[in-house]
Amino acid sequence: MIKSRLSCLPENNNPAPLLRRIEAAHFGTDRVRRRDFLMDISFRLNGELVSLTDVDPTRSVLDFLREDKGLTGTKEGCNEGDCGACSALVGDAGGVRAQNTCLMMLGHLDGRALVTVEGLAAPDGTPHPVQQALVDHHGSQCGFCTPGFAVTLAAGHLSSDHDIKTLLGGNLCRCTGYAPILRAAEAAATETSPPHLKDALEAPRPDASKEAGPACPGAVDALATLYADHPEATLIGGATEVALDVNKALKDLPFPIFLGQVREFDKIEITEDKITFGAGASIETLRRIMAGHHPGFAEMLTRFGSAQVRAAGTIGGNVANGSPIAETPPPLIALGAELHLRHRDARRNLPLEQYYVAYGQQDRRDGEFIEAVSIPRQKDRLRSYKIARRFDQDICTVLGAFNIHVNVGKVLSARIAFGGMAGVVKRAEAVERALIGRPWTRETVAAALDAFETDFAPISDLRAGADYRREVARNLLLRYWHEDQGTPVAVMGVTP
Amino acid sequence: MALDNKTDFKYIGTRPERPDGLDKVTGKARYGADAYAPGMLHGAVVRSPHAHARIVRIDASKALALDGVKAVVTRADFAQDLEGEDWNLLENTIAGEKVLYDGHAVAGVAATSALIAKDAAKLVDVEYEVLPHVTDVDAAMAEGAPVLRDGAADHSVPDGLHPNVVRYTEFGRGDVEAGFAAADLVIERSFKTEAVHQGYIEPHACLAQLGTDGKGELWCCTQGHWFVRRMCAALLGLEATQLRVTASEIGGGFGGKTTVFIDPIALALSRKSGKPVKLVMSRSEVLKASGPTASASMDVKMGMTKDGKLTAATGTFRMQGGAFPGAPMDMTTMLAFSCYELDNVHHEGFDVMTNRPKQAAYRAPGAPMGAFAVESVFDELCEGLGLDPIDARLKNAVKEGTRSSFGPKYKAVGLIETLEAAKAHPHYSAPLAENTGRGIASGYWMNWGGETSVSLAIGEDGTVQVGVGTPDIGGSRASMALMAAETIGIPYENVRVNVVDTAALGVNEPTHGSRATYASGLATIEAAREAIGKLCQRAADKWGIDVDAVEWKDGAAHPSGPNAGDFEPLSIAEIAGEMGSTGGPITGHHDASPTGFGGSFGTHIVDVHVDPETGRSTVTRYTVIQDAGKAIHPDYVEGQFQGGAAQGIGWALNEEYIYGEDGRLQNDVFLDYRIPVASDLPMIDTVIVEVPNPGHPYGVRGVGETGITPPLPAIACAVSHATGHRMTRLPMSPPRVLRAIQGKGVS
Ligand SMILES: Cc1cc2nc3c(=O)[nH]c(=O)nc-3n(C[C@H](O)[C@H](O)[C@H](O)COP(=O)(O)OP(=O)(O)OC[C@H]3O[C@@H](n4cnc5c(N)ncnc54)[C@H](O)[C@@H]3O)c2cc1C
Ligand code: FES
Ligand code: FES
Repeated sequence: MIKSRLSCLPENNNPAPLLRRIEAAHFGTDRVRRRDFLMDISFRLNGELVSLTDVDPTRSVLDFLREDKGLTGTKEGCNEGDCGACSALVGDAGGVRAQNTCLMMLGHLDGRALVTVEGLAAPDGTPHPVQQALVDHHGSQCGFCTPGFAVTLAAGHLSSDHDIKTLLGGNLCRCTGYAPILRAAEAAATETSPPHLKDALEAPRPDASKEAGPACPGAVDALATLYADHPEATLIGGATEVALDVNKALKDLPFPIFLGQVREFDKIEITEDKITFGAGASIETLRRIMAGHHPGFAEMLTRFGSAQVRAAGTIGGNVANGSPIAETPPPLIALGAELHLRHRDARRNLPLEQYYVAYGQQDRRDGEFIEAVSIPRQKDRLRSYKIARRFDQDICTVLGAFNIHVNVGKVLSARIAFGGMAGVVKRAEAVERALIGRPWTRETVAAALDAFETDFAPISDLRAGADYRREVARNLLLRYWHEDQGTPVAVMGVTP
Repeated sequence: MALDNKTDFKYIGTRPERPDGLDKVTGKARYGADAYAPGMLHGAVVRSPHAHARIVRIDASKALALDGVKAVVTRADFAQDLEGEDWNLLENTIAGEKVLYDGHAVAGVAATSALIAKDAAKLVDVEYEVLPHVTDVDAAMAEGAPVLRDGAADHSVPDGLHPNVVRYTEFGRGDVEAGFAAADLVIERSFKTEAVHQGYIEPHACLAQLGTDGKGELWCCTQGHWFVRRMCAALLGLEATQLRVTASEIGGGFGGKTTVFIDPIALALSRKSGKPVKLVMSRSEVLKASGPTASASMDVKMGMTKDGKLTAATGTFRMQGGAFPGAPMDMTTMLAFSCYELDNVHHEGFDVMTNRPKQAAYRAPGAPMGAFAVESVFDELCEGLGLDPIDARLKNAVKEGTRSSFGPKYKAVGLIETLEAAKAHPHYSAPLAENTGRGIASGYWMNWGGETSVSLAIGEDGTVQVGVGTPDIGGSRASMALMAAETIGIPYENVRVNVVDTAALGVNEPTHGSRATYASGLATIEAAREAIGKLCQRAADKWGIDVDAVEWKDGAAHPSGPNAGDFEPLSIAEIAGEMGSTGGPITGHHDASPTGFGGSFGTHIVDVHVDPETGRSTVTRYTVIQDAGKAIHPDYVEGQFQGGAAQGIGWALNEEYIYGEDGRLQNDVFLDYRIPVASDLPMIDTVIVEVPNPGHPYGVRGVGETGITPPLPAIACAVSHATGHRMTRLPMSPPRVLRAIQGKGVS
């Protein structure tokens, strides 16, 4: 039984359209895939240029590395983005980061550079400083997780990222309890990065303007035409969701369209009155930008998936499929975000909350796609609380976002949105009504709590029961008020 | 030759780089899935979607018709005449008449690619007649519960119990009623723990080759390749020595890789297709269909006097271990009260079958559950009587000569030493933050010796190679090398230790029971001593003196004693350089089933912060104090302490098997079966206590397992103190803790 990362309703309620499986053919020793959608790709692998012709663009990079290249240092621990054993360094115009190769498809590699654990050591065999530190500090017991840690730490080392626990949120180690790995990271921090890595991570085609073929449109106009002509196609952003369909559900994607080279999709525009993100902005990019505008949002995003998932996943992909526990929509809705949709040349804008019609149903017609998401500039009053069973690498049980503006002691406006409380991400309109125009006091807040009953009838699932969700939602409003009064809250940061 | 037990060491106790350190960080180390053979096929397994069903029909014709599919195997392709545990093992490996749990294997497929094999597995058409199921231990014992298999119970089970109860134990001594009457406080509580998984990051994987002539080779990730050989030979009807098994590097096991799941299927597919077959489990297959722990339902009652002396204790432990006999209730009962001196004690244990996968060992199998119940009640007694929990434990702690709760007298053990070290540790007296509680608990694992065979050979340049049969999971090759280096008196770097295949040594039990460093270490030392004897003989021959007049020290033969003569010492390299002409190769070998293994006690201190608004618990400080006997390589001893504690933290707070109403596992991915990540854990502090084990030449005790026993109760006590509510159910997930805080119970 295949569950999407973000599914929380029973399988049979999920109306996601079944992908058509068109006539399949066997080739090579490996895959059953359509012949008429092959792709030519070129990329740098551990410093060497690799050009492949006629490959299935949806093939997993992890499989390619292990099976075709014999690079078995990259491990498979889960094949769904949870363990980090398959991490490799990815370099392109956007910089260098660690990603899970089990969630990457060959189509993603085109025009990029990839360095696996085998490529970390210098050509003369001198280990990378993080590798040597892992040996010196006995950072391996069984060692199966170690290549993934070495790669992720090398990514952190390159970017001088010192928040090691956050960096490692997507790397599981069952043997060590992490202490020797953290000590190794600390010890390596002062060493310089070996020079060969810089070259090895240089993307072979840094201006990604060259079109790699129909599966990889380079401009949004080309995408608009292609998708309108082929509404049966699957749009692929970071593939942190789509890859599971391919690897786990064994689906053929008859017509994959990779969005990674659409140049307008990376754009971020900040004007006087709004901030606009191209649909391809990664969650990490969103986090970085938000840090300067809505730090509470940014902090919540440091607990979104893991470093690898944040680097790969896009805002478009997170918003598009309408999961009730997708984590950017509640704060986006609380901020009054607008969705910019496009079908061929027709564009329309929609308040994000209106896009979510019902569970599994969004206001998006065939061949239409998300071009951008914009947020109105405003004074920062936003807090987002992610309630999950684990601090990192977990999807929320409940996520509440509050954006309440107060003027001379009275509530001027209130936008409150919740994930995990209904079949879609939804505003708490009754609660908002119970607050607006009233004095911003504990009494008002207490009186508004019962309005949650009007807004939500939460479900029970493996993450928590309905009662717990209800209880926590109420507590979060109280917490927002307390925080606003400057009363210290008992818990660390935004994640209780 | 003076070779008495040593106490001052040159190499032992140092912390050198492990020999395979670089291989691990560069990706060179080869694990189960990293082997390839020319012409090899890929396997996939067809698994049951039902918790309990009769197999009406298996139709593989569509799968076989798929281009690239080379073989399909079902139960008919395995040995037909098995009984007892071999039958259980086969039935778990591949279902016969019935499927017994979600994920139970039904058939295997081999094809030219992994994807074709997976597609083909979906095309195998299995018709099921679905039967009622039961997954909870208490429900499975209750009247009217669906019967998994009639007649599975052995003679130990008294009349009148449900047929799902398959083994029963009862033992004790003294007069518990009189004991409780003498107590100032008696506490009785019921506890429940969920099943958890070992959670090794490497999924099971193997590469198998088997001919119709019965000769085969198997490469696999396992804790014990001789066990794999025996099991596979039995299930496929082979002669044991015709099957050569090589253990790959192993990506964690914790007990879960001491048995077989997919290896026999890969061998059967190879035999049928005539090609090597590689088979690798997916993460969901690992969670659904390997061997998680038992879950437990327990009642514990203990009495204590005002001054902290235990007067009596009773415990009832009901454990389900999946659809076969084997829940570790014997270990749970045996070890539940193992920390305490008790004159009046009584134990009762039930082994219950449910529609879940056959449980496998997990680090101190059975002990953590019992400790959770017993140490929690002990804590509550201390709380009720206003006693310091360490002082009260010291009043009752077992020591050398104490008769254990399960019978035999203890040899030298270190419980008191760990308690005293805990009391003296700054953690114990550090102030506590708001909404934070501190927990203390002790735990025990008795460790194991087991069949062991080690060969050592001197190279022509005087370096030394050691062949052991216990796979290295956490740095044991470094420990063996240190022991060989210490014994022979040569640098650590001059010793190479290899884990060799089943054709190279006599039978070795797996790396389990915390035995590898103890037993293979002991055999390594003895093999080295034998080689030293031969080296001395060569020197004696050369010098023309009696071997008794040769002393071995610092890696060289020295003339010794008044009449030995005045010769220059002969180094190991000098003797080895000439060995071809002085009598041939010089080796040492040792075979044993050593019984001098010494048990290890540990005491843990933990601080847990609980968020009163969401019920989320955070471990803010953790200290492990444990007796290692003698720490050969202290980093790897500390690694075992920290790893055990980390797994215990996961078990206590987050991890659990969640079965739905339909009997299917709901959380079969790491995202939903959540093991701790770095931010879930503090830097776990360790204190190594060394009370030497007289049964090992250098005093070693196994240290691998004890560390997972105290965390469950220590954390539960900490959460109880933080919230003011006694936590009696695991995991202490946020919803459960929040309910407790709100006074709505702990279930
Ligand atoms: C280990 C792991 C942890 C995760 N943790 C979290 C978490 O904490 N919080 C969370 O919210 N999510 C989480 N996710 C889910 C996922 O990472 C996010 O939803 C991510 O933002 C998806 O983006 P993507 O680009 O990878 O999507 P893709 O997989 O590429 O696409 C997802 C869907 O969106 C469609 N799509 C993509 N772009 C567009 C577009 N421009 N217009 C229209 N449709 C489009 C695709 O066709 C597809 O249906 C996690 C996933 C994994 C594997
Ligand atoms: S294999 Fe686990 S994240 Fe890729
Ligand atoms: S060392 Fe074994 S999983 Fe990390």
